[in-house]
Amino acid sequence: MKNSLVLLGILICFSACEDVIEVDLPETPQRLSIDGLVRVDTTETTTTVLIKASLTGAFFNDVTPADLTSISIINSDYVPSSALDLNVVQLNEVSPGQYEGSKQTNFFTEGELQLSIEHEGQRYLALTQFVPSTPITKLEQGDDTLFTGNETEIKVAFNDVADRDDFYLVDLDFDEYLVTEDEFYQGQVFQFSYFYDEGVTEGRELNIGLLGVDESFYNYMNQLIVQSGADQGPFQTPSATVRGNIINVTNIDNVNSFDNVEDPNNFALGYFAVVQEYTASLVIE
Amino acid sequence: MVQRGLVLLFFLLLSIAGFSQQKFTLSGTITEASSNETLIGVTIAVPELRTGVTTNEYGFYSITLDPGEYQIVVSYLGFQDVIQTISLNENLKLNIEMSEEAQQLEEVVVTEDVERLDIRKPQMSVNTMSIKTIKQIPVILGEADVIKSILLLPGVTNAGEGASGFNVRGGAVDQNLILLDEAIIFNSSHLFGFFSVFNPDAIKDIKLYKGGIPARYGGRVSSVLDIFQKEGNSKEFKVNGGIGAVASRLLVEGPIVKDKSAFLIGGRGSYAHLFLPLFDIDNTAYFYDLNTKLNYNINDRNSLYLSGYFGRDVFGISESFVNTYGNSVGNFRWNHLFSDKLFSNLSVIYSDYYYGLKLDFVGFNWNSGIQNFNVKYDLKHYLNDKLQINYGLNNIYYGFNPGKIEPSNPESRIIEDQLTKKYANEFAAYIDVEHSITENLSLGYGLRFSNFVRLGQEALNIYANNNPVDFDPFLLIYEEAEPISVSNPGRKGSLATFNNFEPRVSLAYTINGNSSFKASYTRLAQYLHLLSNTSSPTPLDVWTPSGPFVKPQLLDQYAVGYFNNFNEGDYTIETEFFYKDIQNRIDYIDGANLIANDAIETVILNGEARAYGLELLLRKNEGKFQGWLAYTLSKSEQRTPGRVSTVDNGRSNLETGINFGEWYNTPYDKTHDIALYGSYELNDKWNFNTNFVFQTGQPTNYPVGQFEFQGLTVPYYGLRNQERLPNYHRIDLSATMTPKKNKGRKKQAEWIFSIYNVYNRRNAASINFRRNQDTGVNEAVRTSIFGIVPAVTYNFKF
Repeated sequence: MKNSLVLLGILICFSACEDVIEVDLPETPQRLSIDGLVRVDTTETTTTVLIKASLTGAFFNDVTPADLTSISIINSDYVPSSALDLNVVQLNEVSPGQYEGSKQTNFFTEGELQLSIEHEGQRYLALTQFVPSTPITKLEQGDDTLFTGNETEIKVAFNDVADRDDFYLVDLDFDEYLVTEDEFYQGQVFQFSYFYDEGVTEGRELNIGLLGVDESFYNYMNQLIVQSGADQGPFQTPSATVRGNIINVTNIDNVNSFDNVEDPNNFALGYFAVVQEYTASLVIE
Repeated sequence: MVQRGLVLLFFLLLSIAGFSQQKFTLSGTITEASSNETLIGVTIAVPELRTGVTTNEYGFYSITLDPGEYQIVVSYLGFQDVIQTISLNENLKLNIEMSEEAQQLEEVVVTEDVERLDIRKPQMSVNTMSIKTIKQIPVILGEADVIKSILLLPGVTNAGEGASGFNVRGGAVDQNLILLDEAIIFNSSHLFGFFSVFNPDAIKDIKLYKGGIPARYGGRVSSVLDIFQKEGNSKEFKVNGGIGAVASRLLVEGPIVKDKSAFLIGGRGSYAHLFLPLFDIDNTAYFYDLNTKLNYNINDRNSLYLSGYFGRDVFGISESFVNTYGNSVGNFRWNHLFSDKLFSNLSVIYSDYYYGLKLDFVGFNWNSGIQNFNVKYDLKHYLNDKLQINYGLNNIYYGFNPGKIEPSNPESRIIEDQLTKKYANEFAAYIDVEHSITENLSLGYGLRFSNFVRLGQEALNIYANNNPVDFDPFLLIYEEAEPISVSNPGRKGSLATFNNFEPRVSLAYTINGNSSFKASYTRLAQYLHLLSNTSSPTPLDVWTPSGPFVKPQLLDQYAVGYFNNFNEGDYTIETEFFYKDIQNRIDYIDGANLIANDAIETVILNGEARAYGLELLLRKNEGKFQGWLAYTLSKSEQRTPGRVSTVDNGRSNLETGINFGEWYNTPYDKTHDIALYGSYELNDKWNFNTNFVFQTGQPTNYPVGQFEFQGLTVPYYGLRNQERLPNYHRIDLSATMTPKKNKGRKKQAEWIFSIYNVYNRRNAASINFRRNQDTGVNEAVRTSIFGIVPAVTYNFKF
């Protein structure tokens, strides 16, 4: 349904015109931001995790890599297979702001996972659990267009798993995403069309991913997709900070201070999620 | 206690006026001479007694005076005054026909004591606009428009071009009660707000109440826009129409039985879609509407009216996306005069609003709507020249269909689903008194009792602790709660009941013959809410009734004003200050999804809103140059503090609230709002009109920074509505040419040439912040809807 709103927006813009203008923006101090989406291919025995840490920048400046003191993923439910096997993965910096670590895949797919970060004397924590997905059963190019007549259509289909409320994030390549939930197609084959604007050239290989996500991350991505520039036209929703699941726990001692209600501005941006991904690819004709 | 005190005060005041001596009643109906169309708001003044009365919505008036010989002056803006001497020795029935002002006749007219009546009436915060003015105001693409016209009044704004509805005194769009021949209209816009749904040819008169709303109205907290359709010409057959850049109109009216019964049928359709295929675009976008009316004047005491409205908008992109929406209204009314002092009207109204969407590329159809069945009985009791009492009953039954989803083609595997239908009943009883206490002081006081019952439905979610919205004290976000069970209350019984007493008080104190001081207090309750978290509503937005989780909005509005006529009424100045406070204003949690949400209570919290401001209106009413200047200085804010005492692990958690519980500007907070309208009649042939509009930019948010997530560049924002779009302003011009050859022939024609946004100001409808995919550079992109738009319209009648 979200799409329809965007569509209406596009219709309105038929008679409207757009131009780039200069705007003076308010400034705020830099804030830590974590890109912690871990895509797990369950057919592999080992999974390598790459998490990016950065400091926010003013909108017209740059985002800079963050130098973390430490970053690790802990699974307290994990039963080590040997004395050398731990229930924690330390991530190491491989290039500025990029942290990597490997572990056998079942470490990530069972139990509660904690992402623990230290940065400039502040401690951050995020909790998550593995969310399964379902294979893409159809990916083909279509020949319909939507509005300008120059769009490229692809058709995507998958079998929704019955008796489970599923939320999906679809990675459509080109840094384009959409979210969908199975409320209206529980246990059914769901097929939809997606239209790329001009610029998809012949011979380009498209890599499409279907990620299973939980409801909170679905809501998070839904807001992120909108705020990252999908043109909302005149139906603009009031934008607000999109808070993820990275909590600043520095001042939480569970004795005097139980939560961050008194200090609501102390948080990091970004999200930590561990999800199953199925992929499919297609060469545009 | 307060309520009881009020009731007491009521009867006390009434008893003052109770005694009487032998008096006689002058009553009748005032009509337009050439068509028998009744005229609303005509002043019947008795200058020597410094008293008078105005005609009601059906052209009826009644005034009771001591016996004697009087001169009465009947006047109406744009019409020749009628001066008549009557001797009132018995009850007198006097129907008067008025003719439009003939421009060449510069006759001396007695205007003394005529305009002053408005000064003396306690009613304040009201603006009327004749359809003649509405048709002269320059508008986009030359399509005369009721809603766009009222935006030129003080205290009325909207979110700009292509935005639905209007905002009154810092209120939301859904807080306006829009009545078309007493039927409630839920969506007033065609083409997402480019045009309004009211065909100007079928309209007689409009009246906008911004405050001091009489007790006979209720159900919305900001304003009442009362629109009256023409009845139809019962004297002769008439056709008029127009050909414009976007739409064409045709209206036919005429007698069925001469002087007794008439019909009116008017249609309007846009044809922009006809040109789209020329550009090889397989899209459609058009609207049409149809107005019909029948009236039958049975006898002196009884009249019947039947009116209908049907309008639709259709948008489509090839076959894969089709969007249809619109209102349908049917209305039967019976005017009955019990006596020459007691006027009654019974209305039976059905109206519905439909919204349908076909999204073939996702494989589903969507249908939603709202239906209501409305019965009203209103009585107007003209006791004497000092006292008029209006009272009545109203019952509205609502059925809401929040949405039904079904597969759009045989291949689609979408599962048919009906979101839970909702039902409600709203009952109201009111009494409203207009009372002249002394020559200088008049009062209006009234009380409305409203009762709203949210009726049973098929399924109702039950939440832990009766709390549909969860707060996460770590992430500091509000989340939808999962229902712990679903009950089936069934269609019998009720889910929630609300009762409200809504007192209305107003007074006018005349300082001298030309100026007065007025004050008013209004309480209003609103039981229906339009759920929309966009800056202006979209047709997709769903009306939702108050119920177990959504409380009714309650408004208290206070207004004081100073009104002055000078230069013998050629000029008027109205100054008003208002303050209003609304309890239970709904607010949305960040990231709320309102569309197709079957558990809307999980994304909303009850907050509060307030607005205050100063309005100035200077009008020039007479002469070749007429017009007005309106200025409003105002503030409109809302807040939703965190709820307290959510007990978790034995601890009591505080919540941060929405926007950290701080007051923030509503999207319709416009600090300065200036509107200038001028009309200049050069000669019989040419008439020039101009508008100038300036509004402080609409509150919005600019990013305070950016971050990256999975290849997305995401701007991030601070608190809500901290910044503003650039100021909005523009000038429009129009010229009406009435060819000389019109004179003395039946066919009348005119050309209207208009230019909208003369200096091509690129007013921002929105500013989007995004990364340019080609250059990889972040940029701010302004969307502006209309630059300079010239248009020509041809109107005719015969």
